[in-house]
Amino acid sequence: MKSRIINSYQTPSGQRVEVVKQSFSSFHKPPIKRVAFVSGLHGNELEGIYLCNLLTNYLKKLQNTQPEKFLGEVHIYPSVNPQASAIGVRLWPFLSVDLNRQFKNTSGNSLARSSAETLIKDLKASADIVVDCHASNLHLKEVPQIRIIEGFHKKLIPLAVQCNVDLIWVHPPSPVFESTLGYNLNKSKIPTLVIETGIALRINQDFVSQLFKGMLNLLYHLGVIVTDKIQPKVNYPIVIQPSQVVILQSDFPGFFIANTDVKKNVSKGDIIGKVLDSMNGEILQEITAPRNGFLFTLREHPLIYPGDLLARIALKEMD
Amino acid sequence: MKETILSIPSPFGPSIDLLKFSWEGNSRNETISIVSGLHGNQLNGIYLCSRLTHFLDSVEAGKEPNYYLNGLINIIPAVNIPAIQEGNSLWSFNDLDTNLTFPGNKYGEISERIAATVYQHTKNSQFGIILKSANSHYDDAPHLSCLNLDRLTKDFASSLGPKILRGTKNSTILHLSLHKQWLEEMSAVVLSAGKPNHLDQSLCETLFSGLVNSLLWTGVLGNDLKKPTKYQLQFTKENNEEFIVSHSGGFFLPAVKLGAEIETGQKIGDIVDLYSGIVLEPFLSQSSGHLITLRDYPIVYEKELLAILLNKSKLSFWPFK
Ligand SMILES: [Zn+2]
Repeated sequence: MKSRIINSYQTPSGQRVEVVKQSFSSFHKPPIKRVAFVSGLHGNELEGIYLCNLLTNYLKKLQNTQPEKFLGEVHIYPSVNPQASAIGVRLWPFLSVDLNRQFKNTSGNSLARSSAETLIKDLKASADIVVDCHASNLHLKEVPQIRIIEGFHKKLIPLAVQCNVDLIWVHPPSPVFESTLGYNLNKSKIPTLVIETGIALRINQDFVSQLFKGMLNLLYHLGVIVTDKIQPKVNYPIVIQPSQVVILQSDFPGFFIANTDVKKNVSKGDIIGKVLDSMNGEILQEITAPRNGFLFTLREHPLIYPGDLLARIALKEMD
Repeated sequence: MKETILSIPSPFGPSIDLLKFSWEGNSRNETISIVSGLHGNQLNGIYLCSRLTHFLDSVEAGKEPNYYLNGLINIIPAVNIPAIQEGNSLWSFNDLDTNLTFPGNKYGEISERIAATVYQHTKNSQFGIILKSANSHYDDAPHLSCLNLDRLTKDFASSLGPKILRGTKNSTILHLSLHKQWLEEMSAVVLSAGKPNHLDQSLCETLFSGLVNSLLWTGVLGNDLKKPTKYQLQFTKENNEEFIVSHSGGFFLPAVKLGAEIETGQKIGDIVDLYSGIVLEPFLSQSSGHLITLRDYPIVYEKELLAILLNKSKLSFWPFK
């Protein structure tokens, strides 16, 4: 494995912040495919970083013992917003800007913006396929899933089904996504999968090991690494459109107390949780499943305002 | 009229209330909306709105000689009220930039509901003004900016007072801004002045008279003894700007004043080592122009923006479309 600094900048006190890329070269020349894994665009999404750690460890051992197993290249960028990750915050500290909204932002000029530009340039130069690993935000817990913007789905679904996720969510384009890394790489014809899993500031080992299996499977599928061992089959995910997503929101301010967990099939009428008055504990709203489906998002942050998202259910079939 | 246009109860403490102030004359043909407080720490705009509200209440009460209300004036002074009450640019409960949530969603989460309500209550105006300060860590010389540069907008801009109108580069991120949403329906400009977390009263007084002038110009306000002034306006194109960026971290000590005319080769400032005080990097301007934005917070990283110069272009007249 080779480590290289792709971007660095000096702090006010003179030290340097460095963004590192770990590369595994291909035994086969030219490489069959070049795959990159990126994580930490949002500094507090540690599950993506941990997933990259597992991959680095595995690939390092493989390359030390059987370098001939690499028919392609792998590049891992485990922490692309290191100052935010160091203090566990989502946004670029000091500037309070979202690094994942800087990738096609032609207005202004900031350190976050130039760092985004450096990162996407490096990715375009070194990868044919990219996996951008996110955890969820601080509020919601998500099952391992891949989100795909309509229009890119034909190219991406065949790759996404290799990743051992529970769900693939194809949603319509929106200006919100147009300044993200994933959108801009896909636009540049570099297929990029955006993974969402778990919740910010936590590591759900089950979810990350599920995804680790999926990432290895993707590398086998693409022929980037080969194995003699028979690999366990990966889970075939549900593929859903927006019309198959039921969103449950709170009507009141207060606390949300969940009765269940994500990654479960729920039946119509099942209690998902309750909204309580935060001053006296009185039940204000009982949240029940309006249809049968798969619970893939659940609120984890108990503090809620009216309109806040509490749960998302994927309808497996349209009925 | 003072109106609560959105009220969202909070799990603790008072509700989150979005207020709109409006005044209406006999003619409903002329309408303007003025919005500020999209970021919770940009205080000059919020203060300016309070000055305007006070003035328009006086006009309505007949206490401002010769002034009368003609059209409809809407003011939404404090959009990101949760962030304002927290004393932050963003509301820390969701860390969302309110100015990236337009046109919003009235059934969504708080920031989306606020955006949808602001948009709903302003989109039918003919003219719009967004009041802001510089972004965090910066100071802006008073100036106007606009994405859509047509003749009406230019005339409108020249009624406001600031002498500079910047053409803004269209970028995807701006599609979610109130300014961009407004442009679908009306002539709108952004007026930026001063720095965040700071109230500059004398600057606001200057801007206040310009705002009153623009109300006269748009016709929402009348005064039979006073014609609106047309101020001189220098227009700069988006690509006619010099961004001065640091090449080391440390203290930035500016040698120039915001709003000054800078000559090529003039010293902008130094970056000195945080510990030793040694000058690491002197900055000389590569071009001449108007210093529109200057770093205010003195501690800087490498690759950070220190200043923006608007270069003098040969074409200071309006490029008609
Ligand atoms: Zn993320």
